[in-house]
Amino acid sequence: MSSRTKPPASPGEITIPDREAYTTGKTDLGRLETPPAVSVRNICKSFGGPPVVEGLSFEVAHKEVFAILGASGCGKTTTLRLIAGFERPDSGDIILGGHPVASPTHWVPPEKRGVGIVFQDYALFPHLSVEQNVAFGLRSFPQSQRERIVKTMLDMVGMGQYARRYPHELSGGQQQRVALARSLAPCPVVLLLDEPFSNLDADMRAQMRQEVQKILKEAETTAILVTHDQEEAFVLANRVALLNAGRLEQVGTPEEIYHHPASRFVASFVGEADLLEGTIGEASVVTEVGRFAYGGPLPSGAKVFIMLRPDDVEVLPDPQGDSIIALRQFRGSENLYSVRLRSGRVLHSSQPSIVVFPLGQPVRVQAAPSHVVVFPRPDE
Amino acid sequence: MRVRRRISLIIAGAALASLLVSSCAPTTAPQPTPTASPKTASATPAAASQATPTVAARPQAGGVITVYSGRSKELVGPLLDRIGKELGVEVRVRYGDTAQLAAAILEEGSRTPADVFFAQDAGALGALSKAGLLAKLPDSVLDRVDKRFRSPKGEWVGVSGRARVVAYNTQSLKESDLPESIWGFTDPKWKGLIGWPPTNASFQAFVTAMRVLEGEEKARQWLKGIQANNPKTYPNNNAAIQAVASGEIQVAFINHYYLFGQLKEKGESFAARNYYPKKGDVGALMNVAGVGVLSAAKDKKAAETFVQYLLSEVSQRYFAEQTFEYPLVQGIPADQRILPLSQLETPNIDLSNLDDLNGTLKLMRELGIL
Amino acid sequence: MQAVRPALFVTWIGRGARAPRPPAVILIPAVIVAAAMLLPIAYLVLRTVGAGEEALQLLLTGRTVQVLFNTSLLALSVTVATSALGVALAWLTVRTDLPLRRLWAVLLALPLAVPSYVGGFVLISAFGPRGMLQQLLAPLGVERLPDIYGFPGAMLALTLFSYPYVLLSVRGALSGMDSGPEEASRSLGCSPAATFWRVVLPQLKPATAAGALLVALYTLSDFGAVSLLRFESFTFQIYLQYQGSFDRTLAAVFSLVLVCLTVLVLFSEGRARGRAAYYRSTVGSIRPPRPVSLGRWRWPALAFCILTATAALALPVLVLVFWLAQGIAAGQPLFLVWRPALNSAYASGLATAVMLAAAVPVAVLAVRYRGRLSALVERTTYIGFALPGIVIALSLVFFGVRYATPLYQTMAMLVFAYLVRFLPQAVGATRASLLQINPRVEDAARSLGYSVPQILARVTIPLVRRGLLGAAGLVFLTTVKELPATLILSPIGFDTLATSIWGATSEGLYARAAVPALLLILISFIPMALMAKGEEIGR
Repeated sequence: MSSRTKPPASPGEITIPDREAYTTGKTDLGRLETPPAVSVRNICKSFGGPPVVEGLSFEVAHKEVFAILGASGCGKTTTLRLIAGFERPDSGDIILGGHPVASPTHWVPPEKRGVGIVFQDYALFPHLSVEQNVAFGLRSFPQSQRERIVKTMLDMVGMGQYARRYPHELSGGQQQRVALARSLAPCPVVLLLDEPFSNLDADMRAQMRQEVQKILKEAETTAILVTHDQEEAFVLANRVALLNAGRLEQVGTPEEIYHHPASRFVASFVGEADLLEGTIGEASVVTEVGRFAYGGPLPSGAKVFIMLRPDDVEVLPDPQGDSIIALRQFRGSENLYSVRLRSGRVLHSSQPSIVVFPLGQPVRVQAAPSHVVVFPRPDE
Repeated sequence: MRVRRRISLIIAGAALASLLVSSCAPTTAPQPTPTASPKTASATPAAASQATPTVAARPQAGGVITVYSGRSKELVGPLLDRIGKELGVEVRVRYGDTAQLAAAILEEGSRTPADVFFAQDAGALGALSKAGLLAKLPDSVLDRVDKRFRSPKGEWVGVSGRARVVAYNTQSLKESDLPESIWGFTDPKWKGLIGWPPTNASFQAFVTAMRVLEGEEKARQWLKGIQANNPKTYPNNNAAIQAVASGEIQVAFINHYYLFGQLKEKGESFAARNYYPKKGDVGALMNVAGVGVLSAAKDKKAAETFVQYLLSEVSQRYFAEQTFEYPLVQGIPADQRILPLSQLETPNIDLSNLDDLNGTLKLMRELGIL
Repeated sequence: MQAVRPALFVTWIGRGARAPRPPAVILIPAVIVAAAMLLPIAYLVLRTVGAGEEALQLLLTGRTVQVLFNTSLLALSVTVATSALGVALAWLTVRTDLPLRRLWAVLLALPLAVPSYVGGFVLISAFGPRGMLQQLLAPLGVERLPDIYGFPGAMLALTLFSYPYVLLSVRGALSGMDSGPEEASRSLGCSPAATFWRVVLPQLKPATAAGALLVALYTLSDFGAVSLLRFESFTFQIYLQYQGSFDRTLAAVFSLVLVCLTVLVLFSEGRARGRAAYYRSTVGSIRPPRPVSLGRWRWPALAFCILTATAALALPVLVLVFWLAQGIAAGQPLFLVWRPALNSAYASGLATAVMLAAAVPVAVLAVRYRGRLSALVERTTYIGFALPGIVIALSLVFFGVRYATPLYQTMAMLVFAYLVRFLPQAVGATRASLLQINPRVEDAARSLGYSVPQILARVTIPLVRRGLLGAAGLVFLTTVKELPATLILSPIGFDTLATSIWGATSEGLYARAAVPALLLILISFIPMALMAKGEEIGR
């Protein structure tokens, strides 16, 4: 991908110089030798009511795929728009490639930030053909290079033979690929993807996920992905940030998040989790289904919840067991059982698809969590 | 939301219903007015016998007369209403443009709902007459008016007269500055000072009269001569006289009575006055507004009586005082400020011959005036 | 979270769409309406049958060709001027942070209420060589102003009083646009200005074309302004024929030429519109774009709006008030016109209701059941718009007096005349808002057991309510100032404001014309409010 020259800056304006240097910066994930591609510091934004985004801070390294995960209305799209420049933060800083683009004193408009964005509805230009769409952001490139770049990009996304078509003649997946090509063509500092797969049907989704992952790798682009689909975030991202009501709950690799959720919210949002009451005992947590080793700081007698994932919970048929099978959900690859304990609490257990227990069968529950994760339990 | 929809549905339904009802309602027959004896106008002795209509000609009380009037409501509305009251009939008038109404009547043909056509100029009446749509008027009506001012076939009669004049700007011109006859205006000294309304029916009638009286060639010469003086064109007489008063032009060829309408509205300071070309040629033409009865009229007698009323002293005075036109019935004086009819040397022309407008239009088009 | 409007799913059936066959309940009314529109053409053809040599000779003179050329030139330049003006003002009032936007939105659309015959008078009165402006400047030594008669005056008058056609059309499109492509453009390095040229403007082409079509046809059909400002247009020739020679044959010949011009205009608009395989298939919430900040351009923009509103609205009102004052000073009594005002409102209201009812089947046919037939039906409705009012009136006289005698010269006939004359406006506006409805919604209703007329009533129409309100406003506005057909076809004694104005001005009694004219403009606030309400509902 070739570099491009920028127009001269007017006084007071901040521009991003040759970005190529930053896209090929040699960094390791986690060890940042050059400035991170994206640095968000303590930004806040409200639209006249309660803040939509509050005190948000994170960093994204070069060539990293970073996912912001959260439910609808949690502020993740707003965060994206703040980074892109379509909204201005009330306070805080945003720094792209080492250059501040948003601060209380400066603000760079979106067209000068070099941020690529793929919208949820792709937002292709309806009056332009596919190749015209892709070429749209290449105005500052010389004509000869433009054609080459367009061809390269279209081939990369697999839309080479649709160059002359118009957006309304394409399917959703095809439109998305064109949108990707369009935003990648001018070598953005960072690529933002806003719920990119929510418009596709399930099987398209899986396929597109793979393709997009491949494309991102091939393009070696830094990307920030915003989604409510945990599976998507885990599959595509190097690191995931969980957003809840505008606040960052946890940032980490998918494994960290899954196995060591920092809060109840994270625990229940990511994967399936049951929270079972327990009490801290001697270096252990005492629960209805057993006692587990605990080495944490909470004092003896403290009330806690322990997180149990379905794959941690084992059920064994036992005529004298005090738990019974309440519900079975066949999911193709597994059976998910809802088991009612003697106390009335329900735990979920994931079993192989061929293991079938009839409803009402008395069972014994055994839990063997790989990681013991407890959260303080507030008094009722 | 549902309530609002219901309401709008009801309104829509009511609207459509009212439309249907209004369109199907029969033409309301007027209440028979308690027949009042015709008001005897305070007539000058000489005209008394001619002014009051004969009682025998009064129609059934309670009739309806439909009039298509090319003369505006402002001008003749009160008069027509009054006639209706005196006759005890309902007079329903459609006001419009003379030419358009004539075209409508021609389209309607024998099915026309009109009983009487009141035209601004004789040309329209002539066209209807040619199409055989007018009925012959009784002699008692026709004889009221000089032969010059009615149809030789007796199918229409002039009601009021309009003299051709030259309006001039009083701030820059005196009457003595103006040439004796209209032929004088082809002199180059009038370059850029002349205005005319070539689309106006009266003007076209005037040109037609010129062609009839003086021949096609002389008419052409005059037109060309005026054209050489770069005249400004106006859509109607009113615009022309206002342009004269404002100084945009110095002279204009129009009808006499427009001045008085402007004087009434703008006051004596209005900077234009009428000039009557002296010699008795076409420049002193008198055109008429006239009326005819349609052969398709439902109640011919009523219509004829209506026409008679238009020629009564009351009506003629009305024209003299309200519209400043010349009353055509003998013995009734015109407005004092106008040159009396007796002093007007009108040219000797049969006004019904003025319906060869086609030829005039052809000529004007050929010269690029139209 | 910024307020987002609920999803409006817009699809455009590209080429190769299988259009289902239209059901009878839609097809039959639409065809009937289209057939009604053809009455004037039938009349013209009947009349020209007896034409012969003379007509042909007249038609082929150099003069006629010149008039034709002049008229086309006028139509073209007015169209271009109104398009530029309309798009600029629409953008300013919809997309920027112009102060008092809502006020401008109403004021700038109001000039449509000024009839061209009043507008012409006003311009001459104000800017004529010895008009009011000259009198104002007289102390500065200005003796005469340059002539505004002829082409410049006609173009100015027609532009000023018909640009709202484009303005309203483009405003509708602008407020319905999604911000997605524009933000994408920004992210790709285009400044807001470049985004406007490269992304927004192309998407406005169909709306602009729709408005420009109305302007072009209006210019072709106008008689009031061009006659006053002494521009020799084609309609002028037609009127001349009626007036001068009472020869309806020649007039019919000229009118048919005008019809050919119309077909030409329709064809070119179709090209501008038809190729657009536009529009987004958006799912999810549409985020309306944030207002563009004008910054220091705010004052020039404001000045621009003020100038336009002044020239097109304040000026006519001022001149009318001036006439009124002059008349009162000269001792003339005030001419109160309550009856005509009520009549105007009544006739126009009725006409609007009927027109909307007639427009819906045609629009539905054109949008949901695309095909040759429906395109033909829709195009036919436009034919009447370019014909001068007198031609339409006479054609209805011809047919009405022969074949519909009981209805002749009743309100029904008058409303029908308005229908023939102004239906295209209703069809255009209804079409535009129909296009914004997701056809899946109607399919869903079908699956729930609703028949087509039920769907029309309970699903489609409520969804296009906003567009219908806008259409209603537009139609009311233009119907209220109609003149020639009203003079000839209305029930006897039915005076409207338009006929009152005409009656007064034809006698040069401008003071008496002032009150009805002012009332006319005032009455037009009603449809304006309707249109504004319509836009609000969509918000």
